[in-house]
Amino acid sequence: MVKINLDNVSKSFRNFKALDDISLEIKDKEYFIILGPTGAGKTTLLKIIAGLLKPKTGRVLFDGIDVTDQSSGDRNIGFMFENYALFPQMNIVDNISYSGRVHARDETQTQTLVDEVLMMTLLTGRNDAYPEELSGGMKQRVALCRALLNLEQTKLLILDEPLKALDAGLRMNLRRELLLMAKSKQLELTVIHVTNDEREAMMVADRIAVMDKGRIIQVGTPHEIYYHPKNLFVANFMSEINYLEGSCAKETEPSWDIQKRSEQGDKFFAEIHEHSVPMPINIGFKEIFAVYVKKQECNDINHGEKVLLVVRANHMKMRIGDRVKDKKNAILGRIVRRKFMGVFYRFEVLIEINGYDKIMVITLPATSEVHNSFLENLKVTVYFPKELGMVFKHPGEDVIKEVLKLE
Amino acid sequence: MTNIPSIELVNVTKTFNEEKVLAVDNISLEIEDGDYVFLLGPTGCGKTTTLRMIAGLEKPTKGKVLIDGKDIEGIPPEDRDMGFIFQHFEIFDHLTVWENVTFGLEMRGYNDEYIIQEAEKALNTVGLSEYSDEYPSIFGNPGMQKLGIARAIATGAKILIMDEPLGSLDPKVSKVFRHELRNLIKDLGLTAIHVTHNQEEAMAIADKIIIMRSGQILQMGTPYELYENPNSIFVANFLGETNFLQGFVLKLLEDSKMNIWIRLGGPKIICNNFNNKFILDDNIIISFRYEDVYLFPVDYDFDHSTYDWSKMQIFKANLEAARFVGATKRFYLMLDCGDRFLSIKPGNFEENFIVGEDIMVGLDIDDIHAFKTPENLLNELSLT
Repeated sequence: MVKINLDNVSKSFRNFKALDDISLEIKDKEYFIILGPTGAGKTTLLKIIAGLLKPKTGRVLFDGIDVTDQSSGDRNIGFMFENYALFPQMNIVDNISYSGRVHARDETQTQTLVDEVLMMTLLTGRNDAYPEELSGGMKQRVALCRALLNLEQTKLLILDEPLKALDAGLRMNLRRELLLMAKSKQLELTVIHVTNDEREAMMVADRIAVMDKGRIIQVGTPHEIYYHPKNLFVANFMSEINYLEGSCAKETEPSWDIQKRSEQGDKFFAEIHEHSVPMPINIGFKEIFAVYVKKQECNDINHGEKVLLVVRANHMKMRIGDRVKDKKNAILGRIVRRKFMGVFYRFEVLIEINGYDKIMVITLPATSEVHNSFLENLKVTVYFPKELGMVFKHPGEDVIKEVLKLE
Repeated sequence: MTNIPSIELVNVTKTFNEEKVLAVDNISLEIEDGDYVFLLGPTGCGKTTTLRMIAGLEKPTKGKVLIDGKDIEGIPPEDRDMGFIFQHFEIFDHLTVWENVTFGLEMRGYNDEYIIQEAEKALNTVGLSEYSDEYPSIFGNPGMQKLGIARAIATGAKILIMDEPLGSLDPKVSKVFRHELRNLIKDLGLTAIHVTHNQEEAMAIADKIIIMRSGQILQMGTPYELYENPNSIFVANFLGETNFLQGFVLKLLEDSKMNIWIRLGGPKIICNNFNNKFILDDNIIISFRYEDVYLFPVDYDFDHSTYDWSKMQIFKANLEAARFVGATKRFYLMLDCGDRFLSIKPGNFEENFIVGEDIMVGLDIDDIHAFKTPENLLNELSLT
């Protein structure tokens, strides 16, 4: 059993604040992802957990015991960092089985384990190859094998971008293997895995910590982070988004909207009512968007305050022409571009707000209906389900530009 | 935009090192005016060599490269109407944005009035005019590539030659910028040839994709054509996410279409999409996309459903794991024999499947492709 706690951990390199007051709990047997862009402090955090770096301030606890001053070797961790650190004079098998812990184990048992991890990483048959003969992807897998072989005793696996150098096909395969292995009843691992790929994060994680600029912005399940991001940065990092600037049009109280629907016996909306409140957003002309926002998320947004209304591209919907039941929540536009992307089509729809043109991005599953009917230049109505709109306090133009990389 | 060039390769072969290394093996292709074309393939497939021959930077050992019907060797480099964009920008750091754009025009000896006019137009087009007096170091990577495009179009380039232009961008930035890059090039009406090993990037941007492997062209077509009708295991695997299951031919049916019964490791299914001729007991690989796998509860009442089941094949599988991945949900499934496959559904797909229990799986006959089992399957699937 390995439970990890970080208490107020900070770390600086000269004047650069790499980690800024990080507190975090990683539960026993959890697959925990640290997600963020390049330079967010992910690897520094990982090295502090592994004992390869010492925090400037703060504590690291393993199962409640302070290990801040323990060396990496004493912490019993299987880890793999980006620059694999393979021994050039040893072949694959020796590289993998090299470690005091493994050597103390029974020879045949070690051999069985080595065979198992080689098979899992599709390296079987390359036992005698030396690191210099291997491609980047193969070296990465050898390093992964070595980390896995140390696990027998440690139960904590630390992975820094473990799948980065791999081709797409192999990466998909290993994600599945990692997930199934971490969750296997025999191993019961705690895994901490760093990545900058949000899809990889959601595919394997029980919980995700999103980092930016040395801070943890949000911790939660993939579902929480995707549907209830804490700010624009997290919202945008998880998938392509649209945003509209507006102001909070009314006090956030139950409105006619909900009551009317409840009278009609619409149970779905009645249920939402318990946890969410409608927040009408005025985006400056006749359209007023009513959005359902979690109660605790709109506490600090006041009447008349500037807000951002954010909707994910895959939560937007589209209908040909202008026949939409709820006109309040819809905007007319024209499809200016469409692109087949494989599983889905990506559309850019031109809308007009306050005399300005704006592009809304909408992705729809690539069904034959979408393929045949949503063509370029068609007039369409774009809208979204009220419960999928996200509202943030307006963070200022500079933050929007920076977050959305609109340089 | 009257005279936009087209590109043609006729039986082009390129060898290096006194014919010991065959980089490009007798390929022919045509690129139409205004098409945004991708050369896509794994490392060492010959895509960069092909690009360099189109650019005139490399001479074919055999065959011809024609630009607008004329052999490229007969066209002086400055008249080839080409602009180059590389992964590492090749922008002059010591010159301002303005000087970077005017440099090529000055080298060609145009008069000042023309240079100013063309440079202003080019910087305007890519949206960088307000940075004219700055040095390129203020830009992030997308800004650098836009400057590269401005420089190319200022000198009248009608063809853009791009070698991994998004290769050095942060993944998140690249995902945003690739749409902007496509829109810019399409709006300018340029013909573009873009080399990458990144299939997602190719699908997101390309009008047409040419998939290369071992110096040869495996398949070319629109992303839609390649995605819907891959001609090989390699292509099916390289574009998008695809399941592959092993089986053998159980029965050949000669009705209006040629159908085969395939026994997988458990269920048997019918397939009618294949290019090979099969005989009884042939080992076979079937492929189907993750998103084409239908899922039902194990007690689903198929008899009283309104859905048209005539083309649907149903069998049982065990649900090993389920993951929410934002826009999609992924279901990890296993057949009795231990063979595994995946299903993806929209993120809001409603279900109450229990991990570890059986569910019913449906495959539409039109979504299944059959291929002969290759000698080295892992190679075909790029899993080596």
